[in-house]
Amino acid sequence: MRVIVDQKPIPFAPGDSLLVAMLRAGEHPTEGGCLCLGGDCPNCLATVDGISYVRTCQVAAKPGMVVERHPADGYPLLPDDSRHRAEVHAHNHHCDVVVIGQGESGRAALAEAEAAGKQAIGLDVANGQEAIGIYSGPLVVARTAAGMLHIHAAEVVVATGAAEIQPVVPGSELAGLFTSRAAEQLTAAGLDLGRVVAVGTPPAGIECELASGDLLRFEGEGGRVTAVITQSADGSENRYPCQTAVVGLGLYPRDALTRMGHQLPVRAVGDATREADLPTCPGEGIICPCSGVSVADLERIWEQGFQEMELVKRATLAGTGTCQGGVCTPYLRSFLLAKGKTLQPAFTARPVNRQLTLGEIAAGAHHHPTARTALDGEHRRLGAKMERSGGWWRPWNYGDVWAEYWAVREAVSIMDVSTLGKMIVSGPDVLELLERLYPTKVSTIKNGRSRYVLLLDERGYVFDDGMICKDSDTQYTLTFTSGGSSHAEMWVRDWAESWGLDVRILLQTQRLGAINVTGPLANELLARAGLDNPPPYLGHIEATVAGVPCRIFRLSFTGELSYELHHPVEQSVTLWRGLLELGQELGIRPHGLETLLKLRLEKGHIIVGQDTDMDSTPRRLHHEWAIKLDKEFFIGRQAVLRTNKIPLDKQLVGLEMVGQPAGYAPLEGGVIWHQGNYAGIVTSATYSPALGKTVLLGWLYLQNGELPTEVEIEGKTARRVEVPFYDKEASRARA
Amino acid sequence: MNEFQEKLVHFTWPEPKKSYDVVIVGGGGHGLAAAYYLATRHGITNVAVLERNYIGGGNSGRNTTIIRANYGIPEAVRFYQHSLELYQTLEAETGRWIMHQEKGILWMAHSEIGMQQQKARAAINRAFGAKTEFLTPEEILKVCPEIDLTGGGVWPVVGGSYNTEAATARHDRVNWALAEGAMMRGVHVHQKTAVTGLLMEGNRVTGVQTDKGPISAGIVMSAVGGHVTSLAAMAGLRLPIRTHPLQAFVTNHYARTFHPIVASTNLLFYVSQTARGEMLMGAEIDPQPSYNYRSDHHFLQSCAFRATTLLPFLRDLRVLRQWTGVCDMSPDYSPIMGKTSVDGFYITTGWGTWGFKAIPASGEQMAQLIATGETPEMIAPFALSRFAEDRLMADRGSAGTH
Repeated sequence: MRVIVDQKPIPFAPGDSLLVAMLRAGEHPTEGGCLCLGGDCPNCLATVDGISYVRTCQVAAKPGMVVERHPADGYPLLPDDSRHRAEVHAHNHHCDVVVIGQGESGRAALAEAEAAGKQAIGLDVANGQEAIGIYSGPLVVARTAAGMLHIHAAEVVVATGAAEIQPVVPGSELAGLFTSRAAEQLTAAGLDLGRVVAVGTPPAGIECELASGDLLRFEGEGGRVTAVITQSADGSENRYPCQTAVVGLGLYPRDALTRMGHQLPVRAVGDATREADLPTCPGEGIICPCSGVSVADLERIWEQGFQEMELVKRATLAGTGTCQGGVCTPYLRSFLLAKGKTLQPAFTARPVNRQLTLGEIAAGAHHHPTARTALDGEHRRLGAKMERSGGWWRPWNYGDVWAEYWAVREAVSIMDVSTLGKMIVSGPDVLELLERLYPTKVSTIKNGRSRYVLLLDERGYVFDDGMICKDSDTQYTLTFTSGGSSHAEMWVRDWAESWGLDVRILLQTQRLGAINVTGPLANELLARAGLDNPPPYLGHIEATVAGVPCRIFRLSFTGELSYELHHPVEQSVTLWRGLLELGQELGIRPHGLETLLKLRLEKGHIIVGQDTDMDSTPRRLHHEWAIKLDKEFFIGRQAVLRTNKIPLDKQLVGLEMVGQPAGYAPLEGGVIWHQGNYAGIVTSATYSPALGKTVLLGWLYLQNGELPTEVEIEGKTARRVEVPFYDKEASRARA
Repeated sequence: MNEFQEKLVHFTWPEPKKSYDVVIVGGGGHGLAAAYYLATRHGITNVAVLERNYIGGGNSGRNTTIIRANYGIPEAVRFYQHSLELYQTLEAETGRWIMHQEKGILWMAHSEIGMQQQKARAAINRAFGAKTEFLTPEEILKVCPEIDLTGGGVWPVVGGSYNTEAATARHDRVNWALAEGAMMRGVHVHQKTAVTGLLMEGNRVTGVQTDKGPISAGIVMSAVGGHVTSLAAMAGLRLPIRTHPLQAFVTNHYARTFHPIVASTNLLFYVSQTARGEMLMGAEIDPQPSYNYRSDHHFLQSCAFRATTLLPFLRDLRVLRQWTGVCDMSPDYSPIMGKTSVDGFYITTGWGTWGFKAIPASGEQMAQLIATGETPEMIAPFALSRFAEDRLMADRGSAGTH
């Protein structure tokens, strides 16, 4: 069994980690540095199977694993691609207690929880189960061999033990240095450490020479340690020749997870709770091997006036590398204590506690779905180019936008408008509710009739529009924009609750499909579909069309004779296919959103969100007619009364281009100029074949108190005109 | 040794005085910049900056360091372009290395309507002085060959706007260069000094109460991030601000080969590579208002997922650290700068997700206001009074947060 280290196969023994295998073969994963074998230091990092920054001490060796050393004089390369990598799965686990760490105290905590009849789970690093963070919930996220584990527990026990303090002296970057525990593990694995000198607490069960005095430096040759130098109390130096140096400099609790779990039901047990040993303030050496920060750097930054733990970290970058302060934190604290006479806390503990890839952390995530109407398959079969709009997939066009346009203007066409927000509101207080919500006089809408309405917020700004349709004295059908449906539901429910009104609210957006039948031959098509008595303009009836029970609303957004057929969503396909079939001789073809945007623009109908902004008052939109200020109350009334007194600054106006070639349309969102000054923004623009000119809606700022009559767009002249541009008398829609 | 250690900046920490001409509350980028420009442009140095923790410890030291001017309304494009230009010369002016790097920022669109919006953004940017171009997918690949134009088969990239002068700078170093520049001209900066109240005489602010005693001042300027509504309430002002957490994360260090800043207008994440080689990623603000700095798993999981959808090479990078800051969101997604209805109390707030890029311009303009008593033309549209006057600076699409 072999692993490959920088193209060289090396054998490993069962149970070896990659690091132990390398050391067994006389290889070192990095240039050097004291190895801890506990996952705390950055001195065994390498690229394993294409993933860099892997602690080789934490990975069990498997045949064929490929290890590459990080470059000595720089950082690893970014991978070219990772698409070949298998997807990582995430599993949720719910329990009473999760114990992180399965050493002595962790096993005890797990046994105690189980004895108390609790459902408990233990995470064991030795089995490759690494807790990467504790989040609100509490939620413990762990990386395991089988994928990501999201553990939702009532209580978290941190039993992560303590890390060994690393040496910071000249020469601590040499190879051949180990912590006591590391040396014990290697000896147990059968490695021969050669002539061993121990500093501080000696390792158990290893024959070694004990160096007396304080550690002063390590000496080496060819990057490997050759001697330990200590200093006696009298100041004299002692030299201990060795092949391996082992340090026992004290313990520092692995408390990052506990600190991360501050204010959550998290407790620590065992060594993770111990008081931190504080090493003596070092005189020389590298305190942060990740970022290459020396004691001299700390001295300098202190003199520069950086004296808070966080400022020292940010200015030297100590603690910002792979081990996230594992090596340097004890030394930073002892340095700042020596300098400033106060013991400063370690910097904030932040996830992730153990490292994982973006692919791993992303496990279990999904994209927000884009909703599809019941007719989605029909559109795609007809070759539609689909577009995301308002949270839905909608047909943008079916390949020929102008053919669709002319079908509406001259023959008949259908469009899937199932995405419209649809709601039934009923109950004794329904009229009261709607009168308060809407700026129109709802009481004047008669049974079987509909009206176009704006929705205002408390600041008097328009946030949606739609129709109010009166079904009976105690029931109304409301419609909203496609993108505004869910917000509108919250809005209506919230106010009904706030006012304590007796109403029932039923959102129908997903339950009802809707198909708009539009064009001068719409009546003819409906007659062929079995409907001889269609409703009058702005009326609505229930009837069967092409065998499908529908509520038929006569209204018009395209400017042509139009009927909106609301029907059970299960029968959308039947109705759609039926209409297309029956309309063949009439020249029917479906139209998409792109065509609709042109048709409604010719009529000057606004699209909330495209032609409006967050500060669009009815006055700015030139929709004063939709607001009945002689009503006693509606949401936004007070704000409208107030803002109406402020001089008007801008208005949504109709514009047409002067003397431009057919087909030209300026950029929507482009800038409008007036005599070299900024004058506004184009919100909608299209060339109108029916009118033979280019028409626009746009925000125009008043210049010297007046709306300019002539402006410049894309270096061309545009003239302000009244809307609608097309069929000003609305004779076609009312036909 | 690493070449990124701070070696030039020297701080001085004098004892507080009982009185200053100007007290600035908040020792983040905006407060330090105002002090810096007061000292360097107007010779006003009897100034104290009060910081409750350590300088640059709030959002000025937690942001994702992006400088861009691709805003959506003329007033904002002008302001942020000016700020971007001040950043371009800040190193030369202060003699300090702020690691300013011009990178360009790409905002990708994923639909016809989205493409139209990016074309419009480029147009309005160019009209008011910012260098933004519209790019086709082929041109996008030239800027960032790592992008999967199919968007994982889910979010195809159909175009994008590219603000060529967009840059990054090291946030800490910006704060320090401004702090030192102010200090060396006599400005006092007091850390670990929390403002607990405002001293008022009638409708005029006359100083601040701190946890270390009262300090009187001719003018008090709030450059507070996070708890700004609490501070303003001390002056009897209600601010239209809601504070939301905003999170970010970095990977380990890799050789620097990823040049631009890349963002998606639908997936709402952004990615850049730092001068030290970490891949730095963020996304939209958390939906619920909070002052909480706790990081959460959903953000990390979701942001990583979205970023790897368009940049699949990120999948194998190892995450190093995540953190959280807070954003003061205004109703119209634009900042609030200038005088208030309380005499002697000036304010710069509402910095949402766009505060770092504005530091020099906000500092310069607020300093001019303090020095002259007249609101500079550039920031006049951003006055607090706009909300009462129905003059919103509506710029939602530019925040990169929704």
